[in-house]
Amino acid sequence: MANNDINILKVLEAKNFQIQPGKLGTVAIQAGGGKHRDALKALLEVDEKTAVTAITGIDLGDNIGVYYHVRTSNAFATIQCEVPKDKPTLATITDLVPGAAFHELEVTDLLGVVFVGHPSPGRFVLPDTWPEGVYPLRKDFKPSEIKFNPPSTEDVSLSDDRGLVKIVIGPHHPALLEPEKFAVLVDGETVKNVEPRIGYVHRGVEKAAESKTYLQGVYLVERICGICNSCHATAFVEAVEKILKTEVPPRAKYIRTIILELNRLHSHLLTLGHAGLEIGYETLFQYFWRDREPIMDLTEMVTGNRVISSSLTVGGVRRDIKETDIPKIKATLAALRKKIPFYKQMYENEPSLKMRMQKVGTLSREDALKLCVVGPVARGSGVDIDVRKDEPYEAYGEIPFKEIVYTAGDTWARMNVRMDEVEESINIIEYALDHLPGGAYRVKVPRVVPPGEAVNRVEAPRGELFYYVKSNGTAFPERVKVRTPTFANIPAFLKTAIGENIADVPPNFVSLDPCFSCTDR
Amino acid sequence: MIDYLWLVFRVLVFPGFTFLLFLTMFCDWIERKIEARMQNRMGPSFTGPSGILQPLADFIKLLTKEEITPNDSRKYIFRFAPLFAFSVLVFALCFLPIDGTSVIPDASFGGDLIFVMALISVANFLLFLSGWSSSNPYSSIGAARVLTQFLGYDIPLFLLALAPAFLAGSLTIATIVDSQWIPFVVLAPWAFVLFIITMQAELEKDPFDIPHAESEVVAGHETEYSGGKLAFLKFARDVQIVFGSSLITVLFLGGANGPVFFGLQALWGTLWFVLKVVVIIIISEYMTVLFARLRIDQIVKANWKFMLPLSVLSLLLTIGLAVWVYPMV
Amino acid sequence: MGLPYGVISMAKKNFLSPIFSEVLNHLFKKPATGKYPFVKCTPAEGFRGRQVFDIGLCVSCGLCSRDCPAKAIEMVDVNGKKRPMFLLDRCIFCYQCAESCPRNAIKSTEIFELATTNKSDLVLKPQPLDQKAGVSNVA
Repeated sequence: MANNDINILKVLEAKNFQIQPGKLGTVAIQAGGGKHRDALKALLEVDEKTAVTAITGIDLGDNIGVYYHVRTSNAFATIQCEVPKDKPTLATITDLVPGAAFHELEVTDLLGVVFVGHPSPGRFVLPDTWPEGVYPLRKDFKPSEIKFNPPSTEDVSLSDDRGLVKIVIGPHHPALLEPEKFAVLVDGETVKNVEPRIGYVHRGVEKAAESKTYLQGVYLVERICGICNSCHATAFVEAVEKILKTEVPPRAKYIRTIILELNRLHSHLLTLGHAGLEIGYETLFQYFWRDREPIMDLTEMVTGNRVISSSLTVGGVRRDIKETDIPKIKATLAALRKKIPFYKQMYENEPSLKMRMQKVGTLSREDALKLCVVGPVARGSGVDIDVRKDEPYEAYGEIPFKEIVYTAGDTWARMNVRMDEVEESINIIEYALDHLPGGAYRVKVPRVVPPGEAVNRVEAPRGELFYYVKSNGTAFPERVKVRTPTFANIPAFLKTAIGENIADVPPNFVSLDPCFSCTDR
Repeated sequence: MIDYLWLVFRVLVFPGFTFLLFLTMFCDWIERKIEARMQNRMGPSFTGPSGILQPLADFIKLLTKEEITPNDSRKYIFRFAPLFAFSVLVFALCFLPIDGTSVIPDASFGGDLIFVMALISVANFLLFLSGWSSSNPYSSIGAARVLTQFLGYDIPLFLLALAPAFLAGSLTIATIVDSQWIPFVVLAPWAFVLFIITMQAELEKDPFDIPHAESEVVAGHETEYSGGKLAFLKFARDVQIVFGSSLITVLFLGGANGPVFFGLQALWGTLWFVLKVVVIIIISEYMTVLFARLRIDQIVKANWKFMLPLSVLSLLLTIGLAVWVYPMV
Repeated sequence: MGLPYGVISMAKKNFLSPIFSEVLNHLFKKPATGKYPFVKCTPAEGFRGRQVFDIGLCVSCGLCSRDCPAKAIEMVDVNGKKRPMFLLDRCIFCYQCAESCPRNAIKSTEIFELATTNKSDLVLKPQPLDQKAGVSNVA
C-alpha cells in the first residue's frame, strides 16, 4: 500500500535543496549545475516507488530547460535544470533509473540536449534522414528550411555476424495494428535481442499544439490516440484549468468520470479481444469485440460520437447527460456485467489460453519499479500505482472503488487486471449515475490564459498519462508536453522478450496494450 | 470406346476432378459459415444464396491478381510447389471410394492405404518446399514449422490409421470400407477421437495452425505468394482438408455405405459420403473454434509425450480386440 | 438500488471451460453482425453527422471559421456577405462551430455515409436564401 508517512518535502529540506512546494506537482526542486542527480538520488533513497514519469525539454530563450518529473508513492516532484543553448549537455540519469533512457533520447532528438553517458544514443523519434543540428521543438526552428538527408542505400541485412536471423516485426505486420518497427534477432525460435525503432507515426502534436488556441488544443490532443481520447482531453483540460484556477462544477466532474470510464471499458475490451487474436484465439476475439460494441453505442449516445468523444472542454463538458438516457446506460452495463463471469471462467479454466499466457513476458516487481512502467503492466507485477487512487482527479475521490493488483507479472496477470477493471469501471459508472449531482455542467472561461505552468496526470486505460502545459499569457500555449503510457511501457517488453520463444512475442507485446500513435505523438 | 469415355468422364467430371473442385469449395463454405456462426458472426452471405459462391469468387479473384516471383527465390520450386501440392492431393483423393468405388475403377490395389498416407506426406513436403524456396525469413520459419509438425504427427497418424486396417484385416481401402457393416467408429471410438485430433494437427488447423500463425510469421510459408500461385496454394490447403475428412470417413464412418432407398446406388453413396465428410468438417471446425493456437514447443511436446504413446496404446488395444474379442461376438 | 458497488466477481475453478457450450449455443442464435449496406443502422440521438447550415440565421460573424480546429470552414462571399463554406474532407466533426455560433445557425444531422469518389462532393457551399422554401440547406 502507498506509504503515506514519507514526506519528501522534509527529506529535501534536510538535504538543503532549493525547493518550491506546490509548484509543478507537490514540489519543484531547483537543481542547476548537475545537482539533478543528487536530488533524484535523495528521492530514490526514501521511496522504492520513485520513478521518472517524464523528462520535459523546453526552450526558455537563451537556455533550454530540462524538467525531470518524478513520481513517488504519495507525491509528484519536478526537478528543474537549465542548460545553455550553445552547449546543452547534462549528465545522464539512466544509471540511476534505467526507465529514463527513452525519455532522454526523445529530448535529445527534439531539443538537442546531449545526455552524457547515455548507453545507446541515436535517432529515436525523428526519421533517420533528419538533418543534424535541427531541433524541432526549439522556438527558432523553421519547418520550411529543413533539408532531409538522402535515405541510406545500405542493404538491410537479415542476419547478424553471429548467424542469428533478424525478423523484422513492423513497420507493417499483422501483429501490429499501427506502424512501428521491432527488429527481433532470433536463434531458431528463441529471441536473443529486440531493437526498437519508433517514430513512424510522429505527427508533431506537441509542436502543433503551440499553434492552436486552448479551445482548439482540446480537439488536437484528443486525436493523439483514438482509443483513450477522453483521457488526453481530460489531462490537457485539467492542466489548463489548474493554470486558470477554474473550479469545475460537480456535475461536470461526474460526467467526465462517466465518459472516462466508458473510454476505459471500450479500451480494455479491445485489448482483451486483441490478445485473443494474437494467441490465435479468434473466438475469444470475436466475443470480446461483440460485447464492446454496445459500449461504443453508449459513448455515441452520451457524447455524440462512437470513438473520438470531443466531449470535454475547458471549464466542464460540452454535453449534459439526459435523464432519459440513464436507464439505457444502466441496462447496457448490466448486460455487459452478466457476460463477465463467462470471460473470467475462460481465463481461469481454458487450458490452451493459459498455456499461451501464463509465464509469458514475466516482469518481476523489481524490474517493474526500475523500468518505471505504469498502468495495468505495473499493477500486474504487484506495483500498486493508480493515479485515480494516488492523486484523485475529477470525481474519483468521492467514488469507492478498488485498486486491482495481481502479482504474477505475466501476460495472464496483466489481462486479468484489465478484466477486473472492466468490472470495476461498470461499478464506477453505476455509482456515478446514481450520485450524479445537479446544477451546471460547464462554466465560462476566458480564452486568454494567464502566464503559468502546470503538470497533470490522468490514469488512462494503458496507465499514467502525463501532461505539462505552460502558458505565456496569450490564447496559445507556450509548450505542451505529453508523455503517454505506452512510451513508458515499451522498455518492459524489450526486457521480457529476450530469451522467450518468438511465438510469445505477440501475446507479450499486446499485453502492454501498445498504442503507437500515443507513443510517437 | 465407351469404356474409355466412361473413364474420362469419371476422372474429369464425376466423381473426379470437377466434382472434387466443387466439393472442396462447398466444404470451404461450410467451414467458414459454421465458424462464423459459432463466433456469432454471419460469415459469407452476399455471393450467391447465403454466400455459397464465396469460395469460388475468392478463387477467381486470386487468379486475376498480379503474380510476383521474388528475385532471390528458387524459381522453379517456388512456381511449381503449389501446383504439385494441389495435384498430389487431388490424385490421392482419387483413391478414395467416393461413390462406392474409387474414381478410377479397379485402381484399388492391396496396400493402397499406405500409398495414400504417403501421398499426404508428399503434399506436406511440397508445402514446406513452397516456403523454403521463397527465401523470406517469415516463410523459412513457417516452412520449418510445417516440417517439424508433420514429421512429428505423421507417426501417430499412421499408427492410428492401422487400427481400422487391423479391424478389417486388410490394408486395402476398398476392403476396409466394405467390411464396415458396423462403422469402425463404434468398434474403436478411442482411435477415432485420436485420429481426428492428429488429423487436425496434420491439416494445420487450430489449435495446431502454427505454420501460418499470422501474428508471428505473417502468412508462414505463403508469405511471398500472390495471384494464381497463392490461389492454388490456398486451394491445395482446402483440398487437404477435404482429403483429411474423406480419409476419416473412409476409415471410421464406413465411406459411401448407407441406406439406399431407391434409384442409383452411386448417387446415394455419394450423398452419404458427402454428408459424412461435412459432419467431420463440422467437428473439426468445432475444435478450431474452441482453442487458442499452441506454441511449437508445446505441440512437439504434446506429440511425443501424449499422442505417440496414446496411439501405440490405441493400436495395441484395437489389435487385441480385433484378434480376440470381436471375432467371438 | 442495491447495486454491487465495488464488488468484483471471482471465477470458479472448473474442469471444463464454458466455451464448449457457449460456442454450440451460438450456432442456433442470431448473429450479432448485420448486413450493413443493405440493412441501414441509425445513429443515436444527438449524433454528430454532416452539418446543416441555416443561412437565414447567419450574421456573418466568422466565429465558426476562427474557432475551427481543422481549418475546415472558409468564409466565402454570397451576395456580398461572408458566409461559411464547409470542407468536409477536413472536418473532424467536433461541432465547435455550432457551439461558437451566436445564432445557432449550424446544426448536425444523422447523415454519416459521406464516402465519395469525388472530392468536390465534400465541399458544402452556402446557398443563397431560397424565398419559397424559407430555409435553404447546403448540398
